[in-house]
Amino acid sequence: MRMRPTVLLGAVLLAAASGTVACSGSGSGSASSAFDPQNCQGGTLTVLNQGGLNEFDPARLYTSGGGALPTLVYRTLTTRQRVPGEPGTRPVPDLATDLGTPSDNARTWKYTLKDGLKFSDGTPITAADVKYGIERSFSPDLPGGAPYLHDWLIGGADYKGPYTGGELKSIETPDARTIIFRLRRPHGDFPYLATATQFAPVPRAKDTGVKYKNAPVSSGPYTVEKYEQGRKLILARNPHWSRAVDTQRLACPDRIEVTSGLDKTVINQRLVSGTGADAKAITTDTTVGPEQLARLDGDRRLAGRVARGVFGETKYLAFDPTRKPFDDVRVRQAFAYAINRQSVVNAVGGTALASPATTFLPEDKAFGHRPHDHFPAGAAGNPAKARELLAQAGHPNGLTAELTFPNTDAGGYGPKVAAAVQDALKQAGITVRQQPLGEEDYRTITGKPATQPPLTLQSWGADWPAGGPFLIPIFDGRQILRDGGNFNLAQLDDPAVNREIDAISRLTDLDRAAPRWGALDAEIAKKALLVPLYHPRTVVLYGKDVKNAYIDRWRGWYDVSMVSVR
Amino acid sequence: MTLLDTELAPGAEPARKVPLRGRQTWRRLRADRPAMAGLAIVASMIVVALAAPLLCALEGQDPTTFHSGLLDSARGGVPHGAFGGMSGDHWLGVEPGTGRDVFARVVHGARVSLAVALGATVLELLVGIAIGLGAGLGGRRADAVLSRLIELSLAFPPFLLALALMAIVPQSVPRPLLLACVLTAVNWGSVARVTRNQAMALRGRDHVAAARLSGARPARIAVREILPGLAAPLLVLAALKVPANMISEAGLSFLGAGVRPPTPSWGQMLSTATTWFRTDPAYVIIPGALLFTTLLACTLLADGVRRAVDPRWNGRS
Repeated sequence: MRMRPTVLLGAVLLAAASGTVACSGSGSGSASSAFDPQNCQGGTLTVLNQGGLNEFDPARLYTSGGGALPTLVYRTLTTRQRVPGEPGTRPVPDLATDLGTPSDNARTWKYTLKDGLKFSDGTPITAADVKYGIERSFSPDLPGGAPYLHDWLIGGADYKGPYTGGELKSIETPDARTIIFRLRRPHGDFPYLATATQFAPVPRAKDTGVKYKNAPVSSGPYTVEKYEQGRKLILARNPHWSRAVDTQRLACPDRIEVTSGLDKTVINQRLVSGTGADAKAITTDTTVGPEQLARLDGDRRLAGRVARGVFGETKYLAFDPTRKPFDDVRVRQAFAYAINRQSVVNAVGGTALASPATTFLPEDKAFGHRPHDHFPAGAAGNPAKARELLAQAGHPNGLTAELTFPNTDAGGYGPKVAAAVQDALKQAGITVRQQPLGEEDYRTITGKPATQPPLTLQSWGADWPAGGPFLIPIFDGRQILRDGGNFNLAQLDDPAVNREIDAISRLTDLDRAAPRWGALDAEIAKKALLVPLYHPRTVVLYGKDVKNAYIDRWRGWYDVSMVSVR
Repeated sequence: MTLLDTELAPGAEPARKVPLRGRQTWRRLRADRPAMAGLAIVASMIVVALAAPLLCALEGQDPTTFHSGLLDSARGGVPHGAFGGMSGDHWLGVEPGTGRDVFARVVHGARVSLAVALGATVLELLVGIAIGLGAGLGGRRADAVLSRLIELSLAFPPFLLALALMAIVPQSVPRPLLLACVLTAVNWGSVARVTRNQAMALRGRDHVAAARLSGARPARIAVREILPGLAAPLLVLAALKVPANMISEAGLSFLGAGVRPPTPSWGQMLSTATTWFRTDPAYVIIPGALLFTTLLACTLLADGVRRAVDPRWNGRS
């Protein structure tokens, strides 16, 4: 996906650090024993969040690797590997026995379900339930999931879901345990897509349409005891789940209580003080603020309760090169040279929370990241070089541009970043007029080439830790969506780029695919279609009685299914 | 602002028949030390606001340039050095997160604060006097209509109304002007009411009757005979309105409904400072102290004006 979806996601860098942080003592006496996965069950885990509970229907959730909380209720064909470090960027089988058998040049994928799988109501999970779960996500009543299935499955573009459209013929279930997917084009990273909640089984008999989210049938370690949209989620144990049928999730706490709608400062203050139930609290969407960052220096106890990591995500300045003055590559290059990444990083909380970006791909091997910087601006920008390029492009006296951005700082590309960009461009003789838009309008207006402003602040995050979902929606010429939902803001339709994307997509050996994505990123960057600004980092607190809160490298956040409060 | 309004309204309402005598009032005011201290501070604030570009040139800084090199990026962007990074180059330090010069921002912020406060007060007086005179002198029917209007305006919670108004007006309207207009729209009621009551009381006086008998037109009576009698209570009211408007502006900017960044304003600085008050206390103290001092000075001056205009006033009306 792109923006931070409903539930927070991530993929990490500091795996080593996270491993040690995980069990480092709380200092509060009672829970100072080391973490033991065989003896971690019990207690109630509290989750304090700002947002993220607006949706809980598996068809409508947009998650990376199954998400933080949905993965506790919905098992999927495959899932992210629950281990610290680099192996955490790999998918592993979940409901299925393996990662899938590709055939016909990765155009057909076949999965077999494990034995003995049961829903929370005791009925067995069949291939038909998985197929039905996917079909539901095509219903216009249940929008919001990742767009890939619509694009990849044969007939997916026109299918309207099981309520009105019958069944989708490109998903076959020859018997109760086998499911086969037929794709329009080769997709070597299908096993990554199969981690999404759309691949969770839904029993047709229990489907209540748009109300299903209130009482979903669970396939994971917890069932939904109570769900109040946007405010509360209470999870209790699923009696039909056991570690014998699920090798990935530890599911230590007996109960998980999620509260959403809290203020960022309140969450951090409650995690710091950790009184009462807050000692066993975590957050799945709130990084620390400057106040806590400054305290971490001197307070070793607090520093021991911090997890750090990275989710593959890039904030960037996007041009519309079909519009003046950005049709001139020298103007775009001038902007790239003028940008002051140091002030952008400071605007979003400093080096602990962001690293300056010169590549569009996040800095992780899994994405195939290859360092490059075609328009070196240094830490603080190179306004002299920018002025020179502007003069060559026929703007010796500088120019005026309108910068459009969302009017809140919540996504990390709002007014604060806009002010930093404005100041940096001013040094190069570029006058920026600010044009903040409401968040709702923002997606709609920037997602349609006809209404797209020429200069915008944007964000793109990893649907899964690979180069494909990072580059395809942004640079594939066949992904220009004229009717809305467009992310190819440069409207790039370069046959050479399209050809290379197809060639890499065909690879089922993802270790071979990764470096080619990196090379493609470096090649496209020469066109200066966007200016990467920064990659966000995660610095997050957890309660003093919380154990095993290591950061998973897929989602850049600790994995709730591995956390213990005993 | 409501606080100051309600405090004043009962005091000014019972029409005190005190004509304004300029020289005498000034003499009394000069003998009032707290008021003179207030006046000195207000006057120097006005000078600072007017000379803001000059002062910034003297310091060698401007209010919008980022100085990212002066920030400790690893600690979230707090300024390097003590007291928010105060130095010879940056007299009051730099803003955390951006590195913009705090001195340049507070002196430019003073412009917004004072311009909005004074502008709104003048507009409120104009609107309030016009409607108040209309109600007081325009006959029974006009009084009935306008008085209900005044009551309606007084019944609205002014701050909430101002927030709503600021939100619906397009962003292209210049914000300081809009602020002054919105504050006027929600606050003119008290001026109108005082004017109406004073005008009602003055209307039966001999000199007004004489003017009417000699054939003067109503407009002339209002301006020449009634208005001078209104000067004293309105002066007091205006003096109290200035700090009330100033704090409203700060409040609206604090909530993000005031002037738009990067235009600096004290309220906005205080709003940003809420996330920094522990790590960079200087950044919250500077705009806070300035706002506090200016408000205190305005209020001292206003009280002094009230005492000077009406020496019999004993503080409890």
